[in-house]
Amino acid sequence: MDEKREQLDWVAAAEVEGEKPPEVPPHGPVVWARENLFSSVGSGILTVAGLIVALGFFKGMLGYIFGADRKWDAVATNLRLYFTQAYPEDQYVRVWVAVGVAMALAGLSAAIWRANGRITGYKLGGGSFGLAGGLLTLLLLSPFSWRARLIYLLVALVFIGIGQYLRSVRPKLEVPALGVIVGTLAVLVGSLWVVPYGKHTFVDGQVQPPRPGTVAMTTKLPWTVMLLVMIVAYFVGKAVRDKVSPGLAKGLLSAGWMLLLPIDYFVILRDPALDYGQVFRVDVPIFLAFAVAGSAILWWLSSPHRGEIGRVVAGAMVIGAGVFWLAAAFGLSVRQIVRIDLVMLAVVALAAPTFAGEKAIRRKFIIGWVVILALVNYLAMMVNTPSTVDVPGSFPLGGFSLTLLVASATLMMSFPIGLILALGRTSKMPIFRLLSTTYIEVIRGVPLITILIFFKIILNLFLPDGMVLGNEMAAILGYSLFSAAYLAENVRGGLQSIRKGQYEAAAALGMSTPQTTSFIVLPQALRAVVPPLVSGVIATFKETSLLFIIGLFDFLRIGYVVVGGQTAFVGSQRENLLFVAFIYWIITFSISRSSVQLEKKLGLGER
Amino acid sequence: MGRSKWWQVLAAIMAFSLLAAACGDSGSSSDEGAGTGGEEASSTTVAVVQDGGSVLDTVINRGKLVCGVSGSAVAFSETQADGTITGFDADYCRAVAAAVLGDAEAVEFVALSASERFTAVQTGKVDVLIRNTTWTQSRDSDVGMDFGPTTYYDGQQLMARASDGFSSDSTIADIDGAVVCVNAGTTTEKNITEAAAAAGVTIDLKTFEESDPVYDGLIDGSCDIATTDGSGLVGRKVKQQPADEEWVIFPSTPISKEPLGPTYLQNDSKWADVINWTVYATIIFDEKGITSANADDMKANPPDGEIERLLGGEGELQTAMGLSADAFYNVVKQVGNYDEIYSRNLNPVGLFRDGSQNARASEGGLMYAPPAR
Repeated sequence: MDEKREQLDWVAAAEVEGEKPPEVPPHGPVVWARENLFSSVGSGILTVAGLIVALGFFKGMLGYIFGADRKWDAVATNLRLYFTQAYPEDQYVRVWVAVGVAMALAGLSAAIWRANGRITGYKLGGGSFGLAGGLLTLLLLSPFSWRARLIYLLVALVFIGIGQYLRSVRPKLEVPALGVIVGTLAVLVGSLWVVPYGKHTFVDGQVQPPRPGTVAMTTKLPWTVMLLVMIVAYFVGKAVRDKVSPGLAKGLLSAGWMLLLPIDYFVILRDPALDYGQVFRVDVPIFLAFAVAGSAILWWLSSPHRGEIGRVVAGAMVIGAGVFWLAAAFGLSVRQIVRIDLVMLAVVALAAPTFAGEKAIRRKFIIGWVVILALVNYLAMMVNTPSTVDVPGSFPLGGFSLTLLVASATLMMSFPIGLILALGRTSKMPIFRLLSTTYIEVIRGVPLITILIFFKIILNLFLPDGMVLGNEMAAILGYSLFSAAYLAENVRGGLQSIRKGQYEAAAALGMSTPQTTSFIVLPQALRAVVPPLVSGVIATFKETSLLFIIGLFDFLRIGYVVVGGQTAFVGSQRENLLFVAFIYWIITFSISRSSVQLEKKLGLGER
Repeated sequence: MGRSKWWQVLAAIMAFSLLAAACGDSGSSSDEGAGTGGEEASSTTVAVVQDGGSVLDTVINRGKLVCGVSGSAVAFSETQADGTITGFDADYCRAVAAAVLGDAEAVEFVALSASERFTAVQTGKVDVLIRNTTWTQSRDSDVGMDFGPTTYYDGQQLMARASDGFSSDSTIADIDGAVVCVNAGTTTEKNITEAAAAAGVTIDLKTFEESDPVYDGLIDGSCDIATTDGSGLVGRKVKQQPADEEWVIFPSTPISKEPLGPTYLQNDSKWADVINWTVYATIIFDEKGITSANADDMKANPPDGEIERLLGGEGELQTAMGLSADAFYNVVKQVGNYDEIYSRNLNPVGLFRDGSQNARASEGGLMYAPPAR
């Protein structure tokens, strides 16, 4: 094992430095086994004992999973319930559009960021051997029919052949990693057209044809389209990436990823019933008023010879917006969006002196204001418009989609909060340090489930009349505040790893504190804490299963009680829980693998 | 800094204030505060009853009935693969919606866990709770709720293998020394302990956190007896009894009384009347043989005065309750009578009315409704 890893490291090092790896003396599996598994009598005994335990465990597990009396039908028939709960069939295309947007972004990102990792033939051969080994284990230990075993054996032999060819004939072959990933996905999606998933195949000796309502029937076309969308997006990105400035393209794509969640949920999945009369009577005029008057004020403020007066006016505007906000709490009848816009304008006005100067810069500043204003107003309008998705409950999503929504919203919200808390806790200003420390210690001292229950039951009592926070949104808020505290501690660890010399060097170059923090300290600090941050992401994703405890219909609840509560599938709880665990594992495992890639790209552990 | 500059500052602030004021005027208080939270107020938990107002008015204004169910109770309220909710309790939600709104599908189901169901009623999160909830004295008097007429008489029974010498005539006295498996922490556990003590037998009680292992134990022999409410036992027997075995359910008179029915906020008699008489109407329709199939004929030529009144021919009884004259016609037409609701949902899991407490009063059961006049 060690030798193999060493060899792979040589390959990786060669990739980085563009050098040739030293020749590896060829040796077969027998040599490898003797050196690694049976190097002494003791290790031989341990190897055999461990193998027996592992085989016994897998045999029991596979025997259970493929046992004839398992009710896997419960999972297969309820896949839609598992992933989107009651999302109505006639609007289901929205789910695929939402997925498609993410796919398109992924394809574009791969092109713009020039994902050009390569995999060697040697490594691919190893993967092929691994796959073959998995198949062999499966066919040896599972209670399959002989015909099924024969088919599995043939497939395994094909993979062994491919692996052998790659390893011995073309070990230095280099394939783009992207191609391997897309190829694997294509094989998986293609198999939907051929293999009737949802009924474990070959068990009783014959392949079952797909029935209406099984996995293949409802997923093969959409997933094929999704894959095509991703590929097309990649080539579109490839075609345009040399024609636009990389900074702009990357900025737009980053903004797209940030907006993906709100757009997917509030605009696509919720299908808001816009009342266009209301839109043109109220929303558009408010937007135009702020766009025009705000631009005028900002143009005036960013004039190069405005001087101190600009700051005075901006400060006054912040105070005015704050007063206006508070006045609403005392009964001043005003739209929420107006208050938000006023605060935004005041904050942007504070930044005006930074953009003072040439007309081109000022123009960009104004355009930036109008774009942000338009986005915020558009999203607020969508959020406030009732949904037309006709579901039995009040929330359009459930099951895995709810789990995913809560997890990603939590990650997006907790990251900035955590960052600010970490900076606050290491700050030299006592008030901020005290506030951050208190917050972190209080939140870390309370169990997550307590926070969730608090947010679900008690928070609504504190909100002003007429404002109601749905259970799902309350849960997201609770999760975010909780994981922000942990994230802050992780980031603080990174901040402490930065040596004093870095600060002093930045000071010597004349950088201000914000500049030092954002260009010198944070990039190094965050890079140092990638592993704990990824652990945090995985933990947050898995912690969403607590939604079950507070009574929401997350992925776990569907598997735990709902499917087992159907007349047809009484007594199928174990199968359902296994399926839920399997999906959780796939997601968390992919997160952890991609973090390994990220670490490699950042050069962590190598420098 | 000259005077004129200060005038400019003043002008800028004035412009800002004007902007604020102008927009402030255009705002209405209707969507006050609904901006940042994310979840729109309209679709969630707003059903706060005004003083003196009835939930009935709230429901009619909203155009939708918010009905609390379990969402994962076999045959009573199941969430199907496409997300729809079906079952005996769910059908009673639809019946109430048909009576109040004329549309059996105008229901928003809220799936509630056992622990949050009563809070949901008390806070007005749901208009009515039909979630296999047992009517007990403490629940009725303590927690701010009233109970409607019982729609299903359930009770705790025991299930054992016939090969162990049990039959449907067995009693608690016969289970001396048996391994009895139950779910931990439920009244089921308490009931069987008390019943065994009363009959003077010793049992070996084995408790599980989940219900699936109880029946697995019955299959693999580690449990002699499984016990829970009769409706649950029958469902398990139909689905999980091995082909070479026979499971029997006894004693014929359950060891506990579990009357299940609708629950609603207390002291709202207008709303209570609507729920109660929707249930009663389904029972009367069953008694008189009016089904969803013949409802139209019966409405055209009513055989007697009670049917004519209930179907809306002479509808002042319904209009006096605040419903439309054909409210109960809609119930039987769109959802069905008691027998239809029962057979549709409970026969598939092996629960039949004949001989049970849920049979018609004329056939020895307890399903009895006051006269509609």
